[in-house]
Parts: sequence; C-alpha cells; structure tokens
Amino acid sequence: MKKISNLYVIDDDKIYHFLLKNLFKQNGIDVASTFFVNGSDAIEHIKSNNNEETLPDLILLDVNMPIMNGWQFLEEFGKISSELIKKPTIYMISSSNNEVDINKSKEFDGAVKGYFLKPICKEDLDLIFV
Amino acid sequence: MKIFDNPDLYDGESPNVFYKKLLDQVPDLIFKIRWDVETGKFGIIFLSESIKDLYEIPQDVFLTDPHHFFYDRMFPEDAAAFIASLKESREKLAKWDHIYRLQLPEKGLRWMRVTANPELTAKGSVVFYGRATDITDHKEKEARLHISEERFNYALRAASEGIWDWDMKTNVVYFSAQLMKILGKKEVEAYFPNTFWLSRIHPDDAYTYDKSKTDYFKKRNASYESIYRILTDQGKYRWVLSRGRVVSYDENGKPERSIGTLKDINQLKEKEVELGNTINIIVSQNNRLNNFAHIVSHNLRSHASNLKMLLDLFKTADEAEREEMLQHLEAISDGLSITISHLKELVEIQTEIKTVREKLNLRHYLKNILNILHNEIKKHNVDIEINIPLDVTVDYNPAYLESILLNFTTNAIKYSSPERKPMLSYDFEIIEGQKVLSISDNGLGIDLKKHKNSLFGMYKTFHKNQNARGIGLFITKNQVEAMGGKIEVSSELNKGTTFKVYFDEEN
Repeated sequence: MKKISNLYVIDDDKIYHFLLKNLFKQNGIDVASTFFVNGSDAIEHIKSNNNEETLPDLILLDVNMPIMNGWQFLEEFGKISSELIKKPTIYMISSSNNEVDINKSKEFDGAVKGYFLKPICKEDLDLIFV
Repeated sequence: MKIFDNPDLYDGESPNVFYKKLLDQVPDLIFKIRWDVETGKFGIIFLSESIKDLYEIPQDVFLTDPHHFFYDRMFPEDAAAFIASLKESREKLAKWDHIYRLQLPEKGLRWMRVTANPELTAKGSVVFYGRATDITDHKEKEARLHISEERFNYALRAASEGIWDWDMKTNVVYFSAQLMKILGKKEVEAYFPNTFWLSRIHPDDAYTYDKSKTDYFKKRNASYESIYRILTDQGKYRWVLSRGRVVSYDENGKPERSIGTLKDINQLKEKEVELGNTINIIVSQNNRLNNFAHIVSHNLRSHASNLKMLLDLFKTADEAEREEMLQHLEAISDGLSITISHLKELVEIQTEIKTVREKLNLRHYLKNILNILHNEIKKHNVDIEINIPLDVTVDYNPAYLESILLNFTTNAIKYSSPERKPMLSYDFEIIEGQKVLSISDNGLGIDLKKHKNSLFGMYKTFHKNQNARGIGLFITKNQVEAMGGKIEVSSELNKGTTFKVYFDEEN
C-alpha cells in the first residue's frame, strides 16, 4: 500500500479544518496536512509546487465552495494532472446528500475514489487511510 | 395520291334506304311533329326507330297512341311543363329546348333533353324538326360534382379553413370567402396581388415564412407548411397554419400555380403559449424548491455534522483542547442562527406572495437607500448617477423594494474595482410595456460563462471577498420573482456589471 504522508484538505469551512485536525490527532494519524478554503487556492498551490515533497498523496475535497467548487476543481485538476509527478487519491467529503452530487462524483471515473457524507467519523478515516 | 373519287350521291340506293341507314347511326330520337292550325292539335309525322331504346316503346305503338308517352313514361310532375314549353315555342316560333324526366320500365329514371326548330307553314300550321337526347350521364356527373363541391365547402367551413390559389405567373392570388373571413373581412371570395398577403405577415414571422417556402421549392420538404401570424382588419394578429403545393409547372419546370389551405389556429396557439407560461412558472417554482432543499441539505447539515464531530472529539479531549472546542461550538451556534434566519426570510418570501403592494415612488425609495449607505458610498468615493424621472412609481412591496435596492447597491460597492473610481448608475426605462430599472457599475464584473447558472443560487460567491456570503442575490431574485418580475444580468470581467430588474405591473 502507498504510504500517505502529504494530505490536502479543500473545504471552505474553517471549523471543519479544526475538527479534522483533532480527529487525526485522536486517531493517531500522522500526516502533513495543508488546508485550502477553495479549489482555486489549491490548484494554484499545486501548479507552483510540482515536486515529490509538497504534492499531496491524498486530497479530501468538498463540493460546495465559493470561487471554485469541488467540480470545477476536478476539471482544472484534470487539465494539469498529466504534468504532475505524483498522482494523488481524491475523496469527496461533503454535507450534500443530494443524489445529483453523489452520482456526479461517479462521472469523474478514476479521479474520485469515493464520496463520504459529513460528519466524518473514525470508521470513515479507517477506510480512507487503509 | 387520290384516296377518294366522286361517286353519285345515293350510290345506286334509293334515297329512302340511304337516309334510313344514316338515321340509324344517330342514337338520339329524331322526329317531325306538326301543329295543325285548323284542329289546334299536334300530330306526329315521323319518329326514328331509336324511340324503342330511348323510351322503351316500339315505334308503331307510339305512333298509334302518343298519349301512352305521357301516362306511362314521363314523370307526372314534368308533364305540364313539357306541354307548356312546347306551346310557347309554337306560339313564339322560338327554339324548343326543354329538359324532362322519364320513368322507364327497364332503365328506370332517365333525364332527357328535347330541342327542335319550329317552322311556320304557308297555311299557318307549325312544323317541328327536332331530336331528344338522353342526358342522364351528364346530369349524374353534374349532381355528383355538386355534391362533392358541397361536401368540400361544408368541410372547409367546419374546419375553419380557407383556400388560396396562387397564379405564380401573374402573382395574383385567389382567396376563398372563408379565408377572407379569417382576415376579418367580408365573407366573399377575392383576388389580390401576392404582396397584399406578404404585407400582412407579422415581421417576426417573416423569416420562418420565407424559409418554409424556399425549403419546399428547393424540394427539401415534400409539401409546403408554415405557421405564422397574419394581420386582420381589426388590427390584431391571428395565428394561422398554411399548407399547400405546386399543382402545375411550366415547360422549364418552373412552378406556375400553387393551391393550398389556410387554417385559423389562433385558439390552439394561444393555449400553447399559455401552457408554456404555466410550465415556466412551474419550473421557476421548482427551482426555488430545489434551492430550498439545497439550503436545508447543505447548510443545516454542515452545521449539524460539525456539531456531531465536535461532540465526539470533546469526549476524549483534554482540558486545553476542550477550551478551544468551546469557542468553536459558539461559532457553530452562530452559523446555525444565521442559516436559520436566512431560511426564515426565504419561507416568508415564498408564503407572502399575496403581500400588500403599494404605489411606491422609485426615485424616492432609492434616495432613502443611498442615505442609509451614505458612509459606505463616501468611504469608497463612489460616483452615483440617477436617471429616474421624478414621477415614476411601481406597484411593489415596500420591504422588498428596499431590500432589492440595498442589495444591488451594496454589491456594487463591495465588488468595485480598486483600479478605478467606482461609478454606479441607476437608469429607468420601459421595455415592451414593462418598467425596468438598470443598475450598472464599473466594478470587477462576473465571468458569466462560468457562473451564469449559479449566479443567483444560494451561497455562491465568485470573488475573493471576505464579506461575500452568497445569499444576497439569491434572496433578491426570490423577492423579484415573488412579485412577478425577473432579473437579467450582463457583465464583463474587469469592466462592470449591469443588473436589470423588471417590475411586474400586470397583477
């Protein structure tokens, strides 16, 4: 199994950032996490840090965000992914239980490995960080 | 080469035999009758043998008892007129031409026509030379034609269809009476030049009309069919369906005559438009419902899940961590309150559709809002231009009007460009009978290609602005639509944005 050392969290909810950090800590998950409040910031960061050390192994992506939402991020990411030296695993984590959103994640076949509904619990983390 | 030579007229036959043989070739009844000036009675002098076929009476029987003809063959109703016409011809010495009916034992009903020329003899008697012809076939054809014509006319009338017949050489069109009625004219057929029709077609439909014609002439369509509006004499347009085809071509293959029908489909079309409007209303209501479901699904859920995660973590956290978590708990609680207040605002818009409308002076209301925002406007040094006539009023809910003006104005200031002096202009105009207020800025602009669909959605923000909450436009749109109007937007990145608010006046 691929070792996960770098993690990007893309979500506009700052409280969620805090909660996720604590959840990792309580479950002994030791990863270098970088937090972004929208897709646009994350894309910019990825573009300017195309190296083994900074690129993420795993991305936890929200759906509804201002400026660039999760779907727009996936589109932009698809355009640049072939130039990246690392191919991260992407999970979508959202509070939207809308069928449309859940089905749409399946359209990004291959790029999105799974869709989790908030709140995230220990069992979800076990599945993501196997 | 000579085919014929000139033999003796009777060719060796006796004249009697010669003429009898010739007469036998004539299917008509040939006769000679005389009216005797002394007795005042008619007598039959000659009858050809075809009397046997035509009247089903042997020649000799007829000659001995001519009355047999009246009693046994002729339609009783026709006898008097027959005799009267014969008398008249005799008295006036005018051509005898009369139509009558027979009821024959074998052939049944037959129509006959008799024609004869009366000649006055030296003694004062009158002699008729003439013939009687069976015209039953002709009569039946005439009757069939009459029936089918009648059927055709009734069918067209019932289907409210008119007929046109276009002579493409002269460009003159025949319009049937029914068609003239559709135009609101007197129900009498008429001829007009083609331009008469063209000038009455609704300008917006001229293109589709031309296209269906050329498509047919270029054989792209098997028959011509077009739906468009035509101007009636009452000055109103009516929807019509025109169908037709070319019925003859000249020797060069150019169409020279077209015939078709014109159907008044105004009621149908109006129903269709009405249905379309209803669907639009349903779609917009459905969109609002979706947005409503969205806010419940996304925003309430996100607060709830944060709360759940926080409580789970809280159980196993140490003292210092708990302190920090409590602060976040407060943030969650605040977020929840805001979301609930948005929800309440929305529910109110949806349920208060029948809220009071008042006649509001638009300029006056705008001035009030600008007063409220006085500090913001001064801080950003915004240039404001107002092009609203002093007396313009709108029938609107006062709270909504305030909220709408406030929202667009604060948005324009919030998203002004730091590179230039902010300008904001309010322009009033009337578009197709509807009152419209345009609010234009020279700010950051919005990339409509990317955001057009989500612009008025809930919690959508497009700028990296700390104050962006993404609720304003959503609420504004809901308020405008609840009042029966709509919002249009045009924008160019880094140039500015114009929002057009349509006020509904009809309800």
